[in-house]
Amino acid sequence: MSMRSFLRSTIKVDVLKTLVLIFASIIFTGCLFTNPDGGERIGIGYNKGYSPEQPLPFSHEQHVGLHKIQCQYCHNQVERSKHANIPSLATCMNCHQQVSGTENTESIKKLREAYADNKPIEWVRVHMLPDHVQFDHQAHVTKGVSCQTCHGEIEKMAKVYQYSDLSMGWCVSCHRQPENKAPLNCTTCHQ
Amino acid sequence: MSINNDANEQRPKSTEVKIERDRNFWKSFDELYDTPEYKKAVETEFMSSPLRDEFKDEGTSGFARREFLKLMGASVALTTAAGCIRRPVQKIVPYVKQPEEVTVGVANYYTSSYFDGQEGFGLLVKSREGRPIHIEGNPSYPLNGSAVSVRAQASLLSLYDPARLQKPFRNLFNEKRTNKETVGVTWEDLDTKVVAQLQKGSVAVLTGNIVSPATNAVIGDFCSGFKAEQYSWEPLAYGDTVEARYDKAKVIVSIDADFLGSWGSAITSNRQFANGRRDPSQMSRLISFESTYSLTGANADIRHRIKPSQQLDVVLGLISLVSGGSTQVHETLGISAEAFQKVAEDLKNNRSKSIVVAGGVQTQTVDAENLQIAVDHLNSILGNHGNTIGARSNMKASYQSLNSLIKAMNQGSVKTLIIYRQNPLYTLSKSFGFHEALNKVEMVVYVGDVMDETASFSHYVATDNHSLETWSDSEFSRGLYGIHQPLIRTMYDTRSFQLSLMTWAYMAKVGPARIQNYETFYDYLRAFIKSDIAPKYAKGQDFETFWNQLLQQGFVGQVGSLVSKATSGSISNIKKSSKSANMELVMYAKSHIGDGTLANIGWLQELPDPVSKIVWDNYASISLKAAEKLKLKQNDVVELTVGDVTLKLPIHIQPGLHDEVVAVAVGYGRTKAGEVGNGIGVNAYPLAQVGQNGQPILAGQNVEIKKTGKKYELVTTQGHDSMEGRQIVVQATNKDFQKSKEANIHRHHVWSIWSGHQYNGHKWGMSIDLNTCTGCSACMTACQSENNIHVVGKKYVMQGREMHWIRIDRYYVGSPETAQAVFQPITCQHCDNAPCEVVCPVAATVHSNEGLNEMIYNRCVGTRYCSNNCPYKVRRFNWFNYAKLIQSPTHMSLNPEVTVRTRGVMEKCSFCVQRIKVAKQKATQENRLLKDGDVKTACEVACPTQAIVFGDLNDEKSRVAQIFTNEKRAYTLLEEWYAKPAVRYLSKIRNNDEVTAPKGAGHA
Repeated sequence: MSMRSFLRSTIKVDVLKTLVLIFASIIFTGCLFTNPDGGERIGIGYNKGYSPEQPLPFSHEQHVGLHKIQCQYCHNQVERSKHANIPSLATCMNCHQQVSGTENTESIKKLREAYADNKPIEWVRVHMLPDHVQFDHQAHVTKGVSCQTCHGEIEKMAKVYQYSDLSMGWCVSCHRQPENKAPLNCTTCHQ
Repeated sequence: MSINNDANEQRPKSTEVKIERDRNFWKSFDELYDTPEYKKAVETEFMSSPLRDEFKDEGTSGFARREFLKLMGASVALTTAAGCIRRPVQKIVPYVKQPEEVTVGVANYYTSSYFDGQEGFGLLVKSREGRPIHIEGNPSYPLNGSAVSVRAQASLLSLYDPARLQKPFRNLFNEKRTNKETVGVTWEDLDTKVVAQLQKGSVAVLTGNIVSPATNAVIGDFCSGFKAEQYSWEPLAYGDTVEARYDKAKVIVSIDADFLGSWGSAITSNRQFANGRRDPSQMSRLISFESTYSLTGANADIRHRIKPSQQLDVVLGLISLVSGGSTQVHETLGISAEAFQKVAEDLKNNRSKSIVVAGGVQTQTVDAENLQIAVDHLNSILGNHGNTIGARSNMKASYQSLNSLIKAMNQGSVKTLIIYRQNPLYTLSKSFGFHEALNKVEMVVYVGDVMDETASFSHYVATDNHSLETWSDSEFSRGLYGIHQPLIRTMYDTRSFQLSLMTWAYMAKVGPARIQNYETFYDYLRAFIKSDIAPKYAKGQDFETFWNQLLQQGFVGQVGSLVSKATSGSISNIKKSSKSANMELVMYAKSHIGDGTLANIGWLQELPDPVSKIVWDNYASISLKAAEKLKLKQNDVVELTVGDVTLKLPIHIQPGLHDEVVAVAVGYGRTKAGEVGNGIGVNAYPLAQVGQNGQPILAGQNVEIKKTGKKYELVTTQGHDSMEGRQIVVQATNKDFQKSKEANIHRHHVWSIWSGHQYNGHKWGMSIDLNTCTGCSACMTACQSENNIHVVGKKYVMQGREMHWIRIDRYYVGSPETAQAVFQPITCQHCDNAPCEVVCPVAATVHSNEGLNEMIYNRCVGTRYCSNNCPYKVRRFNWFNYAKLIQSPTHMSLNPEVTVRTRGVMEKCSFCVQRIKVAKQKATQENRLLKDGDVKTACEVACPTQAIVFGDLNDEKSRVAQIFTNEKRAYTLLEEWYAKPAVRYLSKIRNNDEVTAPKGAGHA
């Protein structure tokens, strides 16, 4: 291939690239300035406030706020694993074998049926990090960070929503505080 | 044409970098003779450029631009979605009833076993949420310890192989059995048909070596029930396999026995061999006479090249010298009388502390039997039997057994043949007549998990479980009983071989009660252990305690003492029948491919051959002199003719080979292995001939070589990543070492005005002992499995795009005729003054406060400046989104603790930072400080010779810190550059009683 045809093809690519970038940036800015909730401006790709419908209307407000059940009763592996596990149905049934509830008896019936049929509940994931981030619940909980620091006033949430934006800036703002003695190596989260 | 070439053409001559090359150490002939191709290769920093590829055929296809548009289109669509709408919704599906032992996100480890037909391993398999994801050795296991072979590690991928059969099948044939149709059947259907056939009688079972006592019991019960005959045969394992104690020997003489690579219990041998050489002041000596260039020869202190027909001469010559006679053998061998005399002297001086071994495919000449008799005789006059060498009794497979099966089939006395995981239609040459004999069998039932060459010729395929899905047990050595636990429930509608036999016996109501009574093989196994094993091993424990202990430890008992080998014949009757030929063929098995069973695993195909460093192919190796004589060059395709069989193979010029030898590896050229393994290389088994007694002749045949004029590109990983002849590997002899422990190491006086990094907590470091490293490559596969490293395929390896984070460089030393080899594992050196860090424009590679050179994938924009600036060339770039090519269910083998890298991202060794973190968390949980040995990198664990030591340099008592401060053989790579690597190498010592000629001032 001659130098000329090479240059020609390079130019072609450059023109295309520019066009596509302009197009993309229009869409980006559109997203940045429109905020459905009308609240503070959110970053691109963050999902602060995300609150999907769940297959069963589990209320943290009722379980934690009203009945004062410890977080670790259900999320029992949070102190020894990176994941704060969603409890197995058997854990729900510890109480709901007996407790039929007053308001939401339909859902509790569904729960019991699922348990009887050995069919797991498919919960919708609320807090989601990109695949290149490794967050470790155990490390934070054992250092004494309370659940509410990141998850907000979960005891008042009838339906869970994402309280923090879970952005890297948000992580680092805490890790950078000298009193936290938190590691700042990149591989702390990215490995 | 490429940009790079343009740049080279335009560069004025004066700016060309002058490189002083060391003529003693070299990696390829191109380098040794400094050919124009080599110059070009080293001047362009990288083998490939994306522009070179994409613009090459731009005029015709315009591929590059189209691909670019497509990708940009997709990314616009994605940003729209991600910016305004929630990313794809993920579901969390918790257990209904959580199993007690599962903590989501925390790995479990289970003991198990693996047997590949020759060598057995005690395993410790890592499992995440029920998926086995990494295979390691059981650290307390007496034979292999934490190390396992490349193949055992790679067997993980065969569990997730898309080519695995998922249910039982039936093959419908036409009358001549030339054409067929495969249909799925149900187990009920298969069982009814098979049992009806079995009840007609005349049943034969063909298996390989079986080291599971319970499986042997099931087969025994089945055979007694159906009056069936069991035959056992393996293509590469021979009944005469010895059990040796290489750590107890002072002198080891190997006559074509590749005990460190492809023959016998290679990993265990590596471990013992290294233990006998860890201290260079009293290391053992390995003398090798060989016709190929094997790992054993590469590690030999003294290596002599021979032809296969000379194997017996060597042993007979040694016998006569050792017993005080004289010999002229050295003349036929072409070595000096003194050199040969020295071998005999060494043996004589180390009576009962020496080992003479011969075996493996390379020794299957016409004289194979005589060779064994002679070796036995030599060992017995040296008093080695029972001290360093003994018999391995559990290897029963033999060609005699196979021949009697073929005879029985030909006589029509086999109506039903059950074949268990053997592939005779691939591994046997036509001259055995297996195929014709098989046609006379009414029904062939194949038990295995791939529709391979033999399975497609069977009437029924009773699909077997994978080894990781099945219960079993093992007795690899007398007195050492191990358990084989399943790691995962059967993924598909498959059934273990043992249960199939049990089911058929139950349905036909034949055999002892125990084969009919139990519903699963697990129940049978437990009952068997209770009745047959516990009395021997339990030492009065109750059964449940014994059982739990067995599961937890993975084994009970210990390696038994050596059993003296019965001499198979008299030395006086030996008559050499082989004749020396002008050009002799020698077939061999590669240490990682073996007999070719696991050919469909990409990890194995992409692992460079330990010596030739060629990937994805087999080839005909000849010496440089032979190539010159035959006017052949590397990559020339030739026709090899043995008898009436002709194969076409590319030529590889192998240093250190005898001038009258052509070496060809078996295990390639599969046609029905699966998508990955089909059509890789050429099947060399057809070159095998049948001897007078039906024994296979795989070496020493006369071979004709004819040039075809065609070329075929062999791909090697050795030509690039060159280190430009600086002090990279240091080799000294035992005499040098006696004079100075620092022999041949050139220390540089380096200083800096900068005080350097301060590490207050941990400071991770690694040492690699070149003296114990044998180049076995187990570390490479371990790393690949641990760190989700992709296989890129032959085409991209050709362009230098292989992804291995740890590679093993092999340097030849000396002349092409007598070249020795040194191996050097190279991984990221985690430099304190890392050259890669300073050039990254986006700070994607940075230094941690524990001395790690961190690579942050999500920050990397792919400039590749770091790779350009890395003096050790350990960085790997993702040219494509290889992860997208992973077929389901292979993605289940990925390690969830390591990010799967995407296109356009640089990656490299991380010192297994995920393992460091897990160890730290465990220590925190147990409320203690991290101690030495808590963190072990994947390569360190897999290393059978413990050449790799990893740990905290700030902990004075750690093994690695001890080596850094005390070991005189330690040196760093390119010390004068002051990159301050965290990896140190220990020099290689060759115990050959020579003295290295003193060098002039300057670099070693």
